[in-house]
Amino acid sequence: MTGLSSPTRSAPEQVTPSPVALSLTGLSKRFGGTQALDDVSLTVRRGTIHALLGGNGSGKSTTIKVLAGVHGADAGRLEVFGQHFPLTGYTSDTARGAGLRFVHQNPALFPELSIAENFGLANTFPVHHCGAISGKALRNSVTSTLRGYDLDFDPRTKVGDLRPADRTMIAIARVMADDDGKDAVLVLDEPTASLGQAESDHLMARLRQRADGGQTIIIVSHRLKEILSVAHDYTIFRDGRVAATLRDAQPTEEEIVSHMAGGMVSALRPEQFSSHATDQVRLEVTGLRGGALQGADLSVRAGEVVGIAGLVGSGRTSLLLNLFGRHRSTAGQMRLDGQHYAPTSIQEAMDSGVALVPEDRGAQAAFADRDVSDNISVAVHKNTWTRKWMPRARERRIAQDFIDKLSIRVRSADARFSSMSGGNQQKVVLARWLQRNPKLLLLDEPTQGVDIMSRAEIYSIIRQATATGCSVILASSDMSELVALSDRILILRDGRLVDSVDASTVDVDALTKLVMIDPRNRNHDHD
Amino acid sequence: MTMTETKREIPAPPATENVPVGSAATVRGIRRTQRVGHFLESYALIILTALVILFFSVSPASSGAFPTLNNLNVILGSQSVTALIAIAALFAFIPGHFDFSLGAVAVSTQVLSAGLMSFYAVPLWLAILISMAVAALIGIVNGYFVTQLKMNPFVTTLGMSILLTGGVTWFTGGKTILSGIDPAITKFGTTRILGLPLVFFVVLLIAAVNWYVLTHTPYGRSLYAIGSNQESATLVGIRVERNVWIGFIIGSLIAGLAGIIQLSRMGSATASSGGDLLFAALAAVFLGATAITPGFFNVIGTLVGAIFVSISVSGLTLSGASGWASSVFNGTALLVAVGLSTYLGRRRSRG
Repeated sequence: MTGLSSPTRSAPEQVTPSPVALSLTGLSKRFGGTQALDDVSLTVRRGTIHALLGGNGSGKSTTIKVLAGVHGADAGRLEVFGQHFPLTGYTSDTARGAGLRFVHQNPALFPELSIAENFGLANTFPVHHCGAISGKALRNSVTSTLRGYDLDFDPRTKVGDLRPADRTMIAIARVMADDDGKDAVLVLDEPTASLGQAESDHLMARLRQRADGGQTIIIVSHRLKEILSVAHDYTIFRDGRVAATLRDAQPTEEEIVSHMAGGMVSALRPEQFSSHATDQVRLEVTGLRGGALQGADLSVRAGEVVGIAGLVGSGRTSLLLNLFGRHRSTAGQMRLDGQHYAPTSIQEAMDSGVALVPEDRGAQAAFADRDVSDNISVAVHKNTWTRKWMPRARERRIAQDFIDKLSIRVRSADARFSSMSGGNQQKVVLARWLQRNPKLLLLDEPTQGVDIMSRAEIYSIIRQATATGCSVILASSDMSELVALSDRILILRDGRLVDSVDASTVDVDALTKLVMIDPRNRNHDHD
Repeated sequence: MTMTETKREIPAPPATENVPVGSAATVRGIRRTQRVGHFLESYALIILTALVILFFSVSPASSGAFPTLNNLNVILGSQSVTALIAIAALFAFIPGHFDFSLGAVAVSTQVLSAGLMSFYAVPLWLAILISMAVAALIGIVNGYFVTQLKMNPFVTTLGMSILLTGGVTWFTGGKTILSGIDPAITKFGTTRILGLPLVFFVVLLIAAVNWYVLTHTPYGRSLYAIGSNQESATLVGIRVERNVWIGFIIGSLIAGLAGIIQLSRMGSATASSGGDLLFAALAAVFLGATAITPGFFNVIGTLVGAIFVSISVSGLTLSGASGWASSVFNGTALLVAVGLSTYLGRRRSRG
């Protein structure tokens, strides 16, 4: 344990003032017939947060994997803190020796075990001379490590009891445990993919603090907004090449997107964006209670996209699950197209023309080992059954139609769901529901873990659906998503819809303020 | 699946055949290799079965007795019970559960129907009806425990199996029931049509019905969806608990029928745990999951698996192997089959 130098960390020492922490030049990598990386160069300055951005398949993940020693490189030169590391014969051990530390999307923590045990399992348990684990020595070393990260936790705390952002910090502290951080480069791959907005803000603040203390950080994330709030430098990938390098820049989201998309302009909210909302009332909800809902009132018109903004625990998901018949409301009235609506089962909600794209794609929407066709047809089995056969050929044809129409990038309708990228998986889930021509489409975090290019495509798919009269309720923790896609945004707080804003007159910052306005809620969210 | 692959393949114009080193030719070559691999994977079990038949037919130790019509009858008769229990097991396996009690259910209906006729002079039809009602009841109870009380299916059905074994032993007093069994049922068990046992055709019919239910009804498709992801299945409107419960009942009924057929073939009934029946069936189920639609449990593969197990055991026995050989074979087949189907399933989900 050389780490954690001085607990106060008041004066960052400048031992080796080399300004460059990591320099990668001329990196190339082929997979079969695909040039995955073509002459990629990357310069990461010491003590900065360096963001790697790009759509799916742009090469950012491959670059990370080469750095981690997962993939070998065909050509290229790597220097870390001035020391040259040949990329031939480069393995994960070389990466570790070079001072590169990786934390992946879902850090392998054991929620049932204590912080100290998690450290012990990942590194080594200090032992007594007779071989038994020395709990005290472990706790002491972990306490001092945590202190170095301003994490004021008892090492006996169960990891599962920590808030999600702090769990990620524990994973970071764990991987850095044997370093003082200044001679190491921390690489974070989608660290916020499974975190809510407030949690990821908290994590970003922590990371910025680390960088200010001299830590060099490379971060990959789909969430542009949060990246823009912390990163110093940017390397933007497109088609296996570096499309742009920005140093000490303050780019806007649109700038980044245009670099990622190349010449193709793909603003998330098109200029000539026109609402498809009509005057016909589709859904009317009064005094709805159940789950986290404490008497919610809302009304949605046909063809309208209503965004629901609210902190974690405000009742966003509860609202959707009540509307979808998954949860039973305890009080309140719902009317769908003027008809009394109180679904007692999901099937009933579906029969009434309601559809739900759930929050957690992997756990709640995917049939990972089934093929694309099965994943789409599963929502219409009862309707397509001929009373004799399941029309397989028709199912495949419908799947193929959606693959073409939604430009789903997949080998064929027979390909496994799990073989696709997140964005394409989400399009398949949308196709599953769009084939039912729903009257009311409920979307819960529809672009979580989806790259920005697919995100724009998914938005346009949803807008096309509203053109045919489909109403959409969009619950999201991503303010830019709410602003980009909604006609009207409702603010949900403590289970009640307390405010309503026109999406065309509000920007992301104003909306964020509206959502965060009550400090009591902030605390509530941090629970 | 192979069919659709073939259909998608665009016939290559003859001119391109002459291209010496072209990427198109290479891609086609790769695709052809994949297709051959795919075919081999789907039909490996059938090919293996054919090889086993060939081996025992020419092997000097068994060539006298193995390739005869008599032996074919024995094989098809003995595999019928295995195949039925294996099909029954599919209704628990496909939605991701487990039913350990199926062997014991088969023994229960066999012993109960024989005992009702022998001890209480109950007519055959009523004895079968009561036995099948008991089988259904066992399925209802298992399904209730698993879906409503959320009990672990493995332990629940194991407990049920032990309970049933105890029950039938008490019922028979540990003796074999030989007398008083309606000769009509044994006649059914020994009847041959086109030189093959009638029960074999019964099994084919039941397999066909279940193939239809599992692949061509919303119910069957829902079981596969539940097995893939229970929460996702719930959120597309599938009534997960009800459908799993029904699966337990269907499984129990098919296993009950297997017990009746066992009685018809043997003409007697002895209390036992039904472990032999179950383990051979499990081997067939997992072997079946390596064939036809590799990585997924399916009826046709299961049927082939049952025939493969029966043929191999018969060949080994006729070659003079001792009684333990069939246990060794079933155990090995089960381990290999589970290993293979797990590997295939994992590869599938990786895509």
